[in-house]
Amino acid sequence: MKAPLSWLRESAAVPDDPATVATRLAACGFEVAGVDGETIDVEVTANRPDCLSVYGLAREAATAFDVALAPPPGGDLPPTEPTGTVPVTIDDAGCGRYALALADVRIGPSPRWLVDRLAAAGVRPISNVVDITNYVMLEIGQPMHAFDAATLAGPEIRVRLARPGETLVTLDGQSRELDASMLVIADRDRATALAGVMGGAASEVSNRTTRIALESAWFDPAAVRTTSRRLGLKTEASTRFERGTDPWGPTRGLARALSLFEQTGAGQRVGPMVDVWPSPAAPPTVVLRRARLASLLGDQVPDQDVIRILSALGFLVAPETAGWRVHVPTFRVDVHREVDLIEEVGRHWGFDRIPATFPALAELPRPSVAGLDLGRRLRRVLAGVGLQEAATFTFLGREAAEPFARPGIGLVDIANPLSENFSVLRPSLMVGLVDAVVYNRRRGQESVNLFEIGAAFDARGEARRVAWVLTGPREEHWSTPAASADVYDVLGIAELLAEAVGTEIEARAATDAPWFVPGRAAVLQTTGRDGTARVGACGQVLPAIVEARGLPRGEVVVAGELDLEALVGAARPAASHITALPRHPSVVRDVSLFVDERLPAAEVRGTIWAHAPDTLVAVREFDRYRGKGVPEGRISLSWRLTFRAPDRTLTDHEVQRAIEALVTAIGAAHGATLRSAAGPSPTE
Amino acid sequence: MSPDPIAALRDDFTRALEAARTPAEVRALRDRFLGRKNGHVTTLLKTLGALPADERRTLGQQTNELKRDIEARLTAREADVGRDLPPPGSTDVTLPGRRRATGRRHPLTLVQERVEEIFLGLGFQVIEGPEIEDDWHNFEALNMPPEHPARDMQDTLYLSAPLPAADGGRPATLLRTHTSGMQIRYMQANPPPVRVIAPGRVYRRDSVDATHTPMFSQVEGLVVGEGISLGDLKGTLNAFASRFFHAAVRTRFRPSFFPYTEPSAELDVECQGCSGRGCPLCKQSGWMEVLGCGMVHPAVFEAVGYDAERWTGFAFGVGIERLAIRLYGVDDIRMFYENDLRFLGQMPL
Repeated sequence: MKAPLSWLRESAAVPDDPATVATRLAACGFEVAGVDGETIDVEVTANRPDCLSVYGLAREAATAFDVALAPPPGGDLPPTEPTGTVPVTIDDAGCGRYALALADVRIGPSPRWLVDRLAAAGVRPISNVVDITNYVMLEIGQPMHAFDAATLAGPEIRVRLARPGETLVTLDGQSRELDASMLVIADRDRATALAGVMGGAASEVSNRTTRIALESAWFDPAAVRTTSRRLGLKTEASTRFERGTDPWGPTRGLARALSLFEQTGAGQRVGPMVDVWPSPAAPPTVVLRRARLASLLGDQVPDQDVIRILSALGFLVAPETAGWRVHVPTFRVDVHREVDLIEEVGRHWGFDRIPATFPALAELPRPSVAGLDLGRRLRRVLAGVGLQEAATFTFLGREAAEPFARPGIGLVDIANPLSENFSVLRPSLMVGLVDAVVYNRRRGQESVNLFEIGAAFDARGEARRVAWVLTGPREEHWSTPAASADVYDVLGIAELLAEAVGTEIEARAATDAPWFVPGRAAVLQTTGRDGTARVGACGQVLPAIVEARGLPRGEVVVAGELDLEALVGAARPAASHITALPRHPSVVRDVSLFVDERLPAAEVRGTIWAHAPDTLVAVREFDRYRGKGVPEGRISLSWRLTFRAPDRTLTDHEVQRAIEALVTAIGAAHGATLRSAAGPSPTE
Repeated sequence: MSPDPIAALRDDFTRALEAARTPAEVRALRDRFLGRKNGHVTTLLKTLGALPADERRTLGQQTNELKRDIEARLTAREADVGRDLPPPGSTDVTLPGRRRATGRRHPLTLVQERVEEIFLGLGFQVIEGPEIEDDWHNFEALNMPPEHPARDMQDTLYLSAPLPAADGGRPATLLRTHTSGMQIRYMQANPPPVRVIAPGRVYRRDSVDATHTPMFSQVEGLVVGEGISLGDLKGTLNAFASRFFHAAVRTRFRPSFFPYTEPSAELDVECQGCSGRGCPLCKQSGWMEVLGCGMVHPAVFEAVGYDAERWTGFAFGVGIERLAIRLYGVDDIRMFYENDLRFLGQMPL
């Protein structure tokens, strides 16, 4: 709302300095967007439609500066006749009051002072009649509309809902299809204006107009909002109506407009005014308790200041023993209950005067959500191993998201996306991370190692995930040839994350992650009380996917993702105790076997554990070799086995027997043959 | 005699020692400098007899020190050449070191954790909640009934079909427009008193530009107790501002409007770019808007079944990007979501 200070000062003798007035308005809740010459541009919050007017702002300024406020600018109310000169019928509760007067007019330009004021307030002058309706709206907040009376069939006015299929060409020249949710002003035959939103072109005031029907009404905020939203049409009038105008405004608006017609020579009233007001509501009364005011603000406001502030704002204040009985003025559509009055007192008393205190803790604070610690721990681990945390958009384009959707589980669409690029919720954090990799590769970054923790969405709902995407050399240094990140890098990160939450994951060849290269994809699972559960997947992202996102051919991008809830669900509860160091030495043996080249190492590992003596404490694969000396179709797999007993030093003989038994078992289970079993290694 | 024969001799020795690569070469050095007959040091000592007594004493002490020093360095060098250490100059220490790869946390994470730490220290607990919400939690329970202007299609992103809620409650129909819904979720599940913060992402139907992204992060705060006042709100948020910015930061509370608080306020802190003198960053006002806050509206307490007469409280919502912009002097919010390593790499480890 742009308010020229000279206009405002017609109602309140506030200082003649825009900056001073602007500062004080800001301090009582009216943020100032700027001051241009003598015009103050005030950002009026949605709850204060009464201040979408110069007079409303003058009331606030008068209260803030403790100066008198003049009565609202107006004129004498014209005589009223219910039937009046033009019959008015209200068919829908969306119109609470409808006042109308006829006037004979001489269309022409407005006087200079009026044009200047409108221009300062940001309103384009059109003609004397239209300018005066706009002037009244800006001055006292009552939107008005002038019809060319000669165009009204009847003439009569009917406020009703639009008929299905009814159309109306509005003042902006657009033909609009109406529906039965929209309130219209109609004459005898057809809709001629959108109630509270915009007039119709057919009844527009023109140079040839000699008589106008001047409308000044009260429309229900919801009714205006519905029409405005459905048609995507916002106007100065609709903004005021949908926030709530003063039910006493319609006749005051008419009186003010008619007096301006006379003052400027634009026209003269013809006959009495019509005023249809089916059910005037009594303004509410609210009790304000002195003790509540003090306890909610945390400050004692003296009684005389409470009364001064509320009275200046237009409230009628009647003292009672414990406080005040307050009559709310009809223009204050935002005040319904005690707390609303406390705000009024508080903001004019001054928030800055209220002493700052610190609330005592009444109880031991409850523990924070587990996700807080989890997120921090995972970030620490991932950053510690060289991954940079990223933040990617939650929504993205369908073509980017679709390749990462689990088969058979639908994507989540946004009903009203801003653009195609933001139309689908991410089914995986990898989608955005792949794009971030492409972004950085295109800017010359060799290695890009990113992770993100956040929500992903599919038809099953929302799930919290952690994902990581790697490309390029693992380590860049002049001394060492660079090796590129591969599937084992992303697998190792998954293992590390599992350890960080206190569980272990097993990787198996994946068949349900079609975004990964077949054969270079692992499903990640945990085994807990409820059996084996899928917690994620990792692998090499399909070249077709990364190339479609803009990466050059031949670049390898590897990625992984874990579902945090599933992962944490599998974690052992706080296994944080530390095992005492062994008192007896371990015996370490290496065993190499020839196995079928397609046999997963995990199966052999399973067989080893299944047949292991109690003394076997660790199994680790340390070599996988194919080539010279290895039969066709087979590979050499090597394990390092660690044996230890808690109560004695193991003998070579007993370890040798255990190895032999394991080799026999693996041979039987997998057709493996012994390549070598290294003699006693130095004990660890 | 030359001006300083002792220093000259020490330099000669240092150069010769560096050149010595084998045990034999080191032995030869010992003879050359310390040999009984013709060693340089021995020779020098002999010449001292011709000097006056006091000069002789001083130079004698210094020469003996040099002798001990050469002796010690020869012994050390003998041990080194015996170990076959690489000769000096074979490692260029001015080449860059081999850095273990290290990642950094995202600036928004750093700011969020900083906010969390401050409030944890003030006795708050941290809670989390879903990013997809139902209409009741996001709007209606927060005193925004249907047809409220803040619910404009312009602002909210809706799902094309409802999704099941994680807690089995009302199906989600929209992307939360603020973290304030967490006030409702928490109060429904927990009796007062309350002292929580709820960080998380929120969504608005805003076009992307230097000051807007359709997605950003907030930290919601809620305190409920008996006798909680606007003064308590001021004290708590002043404490936050002084910890987040600096101890002496000036603040001001301006009345504002939010449907779910009454009275409502905006907290401004003095501009960090100009210390309140006025600059382009703060549009010459000297102040920067930091967060919205207010006393919990009784309608919100009524929606969750709290006795609005007995309990009062305050709530606030801090924009993480806004704080990050203030803290790092970034002038384009999009930087936080571009994931450019040249930007992210500037974060502290």
